Amino acid sequence: MKRIILILSFFILPLSYILAQDEAETQSVPVRAPFESGVLIDNQTVQIPTKGTLEFLIHHRFGIVDNGITDLFGIYAPGANVRLGLNYSLRDNLVVGFGTTKNKKMQDFQWKWLIFEQTRDYKFPVSLAYYGNFAIDGRSDDAFGISYKFANRFSFFNQLIFSHRINDMISIQVSPSYTHYNIADSVSDHDKIGVSFSGRVKISPQSSIMIQADIPLKIKGISEQLEFTNPSKPNFGIGWEISTSTHAFQIYAGSAAGILPQEIMMNNQNNFFDGDFMIGFTITRLWSF
Amino acid sequence: MKTRFLSFFVVFFGAVLLMSFTPQDQKKGSAWDIPAKYQKMKNTTKADDASLLKIGKMMWAKHCKSCHGSEGKGEGPKAKMLKTSIVDFTAKDFKSNADGSLYFKSFVGRDEMPNFEKKITSEEDRWAIINYIKTL
Repeated sequence: MKRIILILSFFILPLSYILAQDEAETQSVPVRAPFESGVLIDNQTVQIPTKGTLEFLIHHRFGIVDNGITDLFGIYAPGANVRLGLNYSLRDNLVVGFGTTKNKKMQDFQWKWLIFEQTRDYKFPVSLAYYGNFAIDGRSDDAFGISYKFANRFSFFNQLIFSHRINDMISIQVSPSYTHYNIADSVSDHDKIGVSFSGRVKISPQSSIMIQADIPLKIKGISEQLEFTNPSKPNFGIGWEISTSTHAFQIYAGSAAGILPQEIMMNNQNNFFDGDFMIGFTITRLWSF
Repeated sequence: MKTRFLSFFVVFFGAVLLMSFTPQDQKKGSAWDIPAKYQKMKNTTKADDASLLKIGKMMWAKHCKSCHGSEGKGEGPKAKMLKTSIVDFTAKDFKSNADGSLYFKSFVGRDEMPNFEKKITSEEDRWAIINYIKTL
């Protein structure tokens, strides 16, 4: 029952904001873009390219750096992961996309909706976006146990993103999320609630420093286990972003090997502060139609 | 001997092929045909607004600098790859452009000058760039 309430709340909450927005129709001017692109290391931002824009994304991370120079800080190490994605902006506040990821051969469909924007007169002190995705694990049937069903491959991620642009240099985000996997092993849970914190500090017109923390919460109420055995660990990341009119290039160090947010929230076993992190980069390219 | 000849052949013709993609000469752009709507267009911002000039400078760095250069003389790293030579924004001739004319050239564009209407959507931000260009 609690699970149903949680799921419903994630879908109903954005609708209540839309209704509120209609009532409070205003001439207020939105703040300038708080972020340079729709992604910030592993997190989504409230940024959506204008209607009719096609975006191509390459997310890549190498292996863990802990073997030092021997494997060139992870560049020669095994365990690299990559995701190729395409997003298309159907409206100025709605983008849909598809991506394919190497680990677990995940195929994902995603959508992001900017529900309202922070305004310069502080009538809306934050921007709010809803991000969701649906992923299909593409490994062979053997990976899903003896009673295989196609639906066992599915996982879902829903997130609300609250963003505040403090000034021309600094923007921050807080993003509560709900992750669901249709299948989980005997010591894991199907559901996970988490919260992400992310932000950027602009250090020049084209460069920013980015930070992020994704914290999976240990909530007994939604756990199917008496004890948490190997719960997923927080994912931390720090990086540098350079952006131009049509590109954003991000290079960073982060602890999660997964690229899809549900993989990060549910399955990250790397501890950033034990040296379990890897170098990664993300490149985005925009085309306007 | 045969391998050495083959290597030389590949390198030589590879170089010729690459050179064939390099513009040999940049032509000067023809006169712009500015629609009446833009000729009459008025700048809706204050040209000396310091905070807006700062925004204009940031926008310039993101959208314009790669071709037009930091100083606006057309010295950006991409400028040499274009078929058309870039106008020097610091030149006297350029300063005689009306605001609306600069607006049309900057955001509607033509040929190698891309359209920026979808990338820079705010009117205020567009004028911020025009104001900054005029300070170069």
